[in-house]
Amino acid sequence: MIRAGQASSYVVAEEHDDGSLLLRPNTSDQAIVERTSGQRGPAVAERQGLLEDQRNGRTGVILDVRDLSVAYGSKKAVDDVRLQIIRGEIFGLLGPNGAGKTSALSAIEGLIKPESGTVLLDGIDIRRHPAQAKAKMGVQLQATSFQSQLTIKQIVRLYAGLYGIKLSDPEITDSLQGIGLEGEASKPFKQLSGGQQQRLSLYIAVVHEPALLLLDEPTAGLDPQARRQLWARIEHLRQQGGSILLTTHSMEEAQAVCDRVAIIDHGTVLTTETPQDLIEKHKDDPRVREVAHGEVTLEDVFIGLTGSEIRE
Amino acid sequence: MSSVSSSQPTAAPPLQLVLTSLLRADFVVFLKNRRTLFMSILLPVFLLLTTNSSKSTQHFGGALFVIGLAIAYGIGATSIMGYALTVARDREKGVFQRLRVTPAPTWTIMASRLGMQAFANLIIALVVVIVGCAMHHISLSAGQYALVLLVSILGGAVFLSLGQALVGLVKSADSVNAAGRLLFIALILLATFGQSGVLGSAWESISRWTPVGAVMTLFAGVLNLSAWDAHDSLILLACGGYIVVFTAIGIRWFQWDAR
Repeated sequence: MIRAGQASSYVVAEEHDDGSLLLRPNTSDQAIVERTSGQRGPAVAERQGLLEDQRNGRTGVILDVRDLSVAYGSKKAVDDVRLQIIRGEIFGLLGPNGAGKTSALSAIEGLIKPESGTVLLDGIDIRRHPAQAKAKMGVQLQATSFQSQLTIKQIVRLYAGLYGIKLSDPEITDSLQGIGLEGEASKPFKQLSGGQQQRLSLYIAVVHEPALLLLDEPTAGLDPQARRQLWARIEHLRQQGGSILLTTHSMEEAQAVCDRVAIIDHGTVLTTETPQDLIEKHKDDPRVREVAHGEVTLEDVFIGLTGSEIRE
Repeated sequence: MSSVSSSQPTAAPPLQLVLTSLLRADFVVFLKNRRTLFMSILLPVFLLLTTNSSKSTQHFGGALFVIGLAIAYGIGATSIMGYALTVARDREKGVFQRLRVTPAPTWTIMASRLGMQAFANLIIALVVVIVGCAMHHISLSAGQYALVLLVSILGGAVFLSLGQALVGLVKSADSVNAAGRLLFIALILLATFGQSGVLGSAWESISRWTPVGAVMTLFAGVLNLSAWDAHDSLILLACGGYIVVFTAIGIRWFQWDAR
């Protein structure tokens, strides 16, 4: 979706059978493309241009997940998942409970060994070069836990050190000030409020300025204020050039924040689109129409595609 | 966040800094858990006090065996019960998962923990030897103290590997706690009553080859080097065997995630 007057910024790269066009910026040095209203992150055309760059051997893709399968015994939690995340993009992985989101994320993070498939982070294979790949990755797990005896200051020092960063006491104080935790430096993690814990977890996840940030249900259990604050921080990180892969149960949030989303169910990716395109593509699907009340939302599409029954 | 793009593997963080950071954090935890260390010292000292009479000492094969038993008791308790339970609890809370998503190699996470526990074992062994020797009027040379420290590292490794095997085979922290206590009590009772001869000569021989009995014998051996014999050398080999077998079990079946 390109506003009038912007079309000259793009050239047609591919023309598809269904009539859709693959556009790319017509100047190769154009780093940031003006976004259409309602869009966040790189515009669709820019993303497609970046994908095209990747095909041409350039590095537009920060995360490339190829044919990823994860199994627990005989149960396949992730089945042949393929994903590509573009530099500067916020990508949402959506799915009901037990759909395979966390398993896929865990395999990407290197926490579990996949049955098959490869995960390339900025071209680095996470299985072959785990330390190098993890050095480029920031992770916020679903439930963050630190050694309960450590204070906030000690936790920050520990994790900065694990990413190869030596922080002095004044630097730690400054960092904590930046996230509004300057008065909590000597407290243990458990004594912080939910919002404070979230801020610290996010700070630790990005302490080394990663190229890709992985967030597993980052806003779960947060009040609206803390949630908004978190999204402002995530948006800020993206503006600095970072890419974000997140899982969420909130369709409203995904629609508002993500540039593209993938819906995963029973371990398989059902579709990958921009939230708007997803709605457009499925708004006339009888399964979606059946659950929609009025204007079709991302949640209607999600429920229409994954079913209404309650999962585990 | 970085917007620099490169398909070349970037350098991983320096190993020295990673290890220093982990050791520093584990040392802080160790200092904050000093009450546990104090209890681990207090219990063997209590054992020394209760077996202080010459009759009791003779029952256990002499003062050197009593000191050996007390040290084995102290480092066994902290390694089999303390270490295993701490690892199991941290695993259940997700502490290891958080550490594992960093570039720190997984072996450094465990090596730091084990290193700190070995340090605690050294302190326990040293304090118990000093107290035991003072009680039984035994004077040790600097060389013997050094040997005691060496054996406490070896003995500690036997119990730590046993703790690692336990936490490898048993998942939940509650079960590790229960199984650890049971195992420790069984080993201590077998060593204590077996060595005293109360259970008969067959159990006496068996008890000498159990982990606690073997470590006790080693401590007694280095405290009286002139009496070191082939049997002590075999016990030393047995300790090495225990370390290899239990460590292999602990590594093979250990899971970082409790789920």
